[in-house]
Amino acid sequence: MANGRGRSGGRGRGPSRPERGGRRSLFRRRKVCKFCADKIDDINYKDVKLLSGFVPERAKVLPRRISGTCATHQRKLRRAIMRARILALLPYLAD
Amino acid sequence: MSAPRTYELVYIIAPDATDEQVEAVHQQVESTVQRLGGTLEKTDNWGRRKLAYEINHHKEGIYVLEVISGSGELMKELDRRLKVMDEVIRHLIVRIDEEQRVVERTRARRQETQARRRVARGLPPEPQEGEPRRDGDEEGAESAEAEA
Repeated sequence: MANGRGRSGGRGRGPSRPERGGRRSLFRRRKVCKFCADKIDDINYKDVKLLSGFVPERAKVLPRRISGTCATHQRKLRRAIMRARILALLPYLAD
Repeated sequence: MSAPRTYELVYIIAPDATDEQVEAVHQQVESTVQRLGGTLEKTDNWGRRKLAYEINHHKEGIYVLEVISGSGELMKELDRRLKVMDEVIRHLIVRIDEEQRVVERTRARRQETQARRRVARGLPPEPQEGEPRRDGDEEGAESAEAEA
């Protein structure tokens, strides 16, 4: 849990870091891995309701930098989405 | 011999198939499983569902889930048979026993650490009804970022 948070906090390191850090804490909500926070151990390909939250309009897998999912769970999520696509539970592409 | 493995099989039957045809596919699966020394643990008919994309010009499909425990050879044979069947427009076989074990282990480990930490704080090991949720690690991450 702390891992995912630490990583999202460590992003965007640059010369103007102190200022940006301050701005971030004001405006941007800290991203938390949904699966860690909700203690979802099993990311199942049959759970379309859960998975569809991670495939935006275009039906691509939502990247980690946006969703804040930790590496472990992003990997499991990707697997589940790919399986769901085989069974036409989720689209490969949508427009 | 090694312990039997657990597999999940989901197949999609063309929407124009009759109930008898659906039943016939199920019977075939069942007989194959029995013939090759496996057991059919669960069958679940999800019914008619809209497909996310067209398969062989079908827009709908009848989904059936079967949980089977048996050998790899059995699943190979099942896979071959399902490929041949005309009514089955798509199928997927996934081995689930290993993943299930991992899930159980992480769940058990989490409960254990939770109980240990609660005892260390002088609380009963199990959370009580209506107890507020604590985010103890939230502050730690905050201060780490402030330092950076």
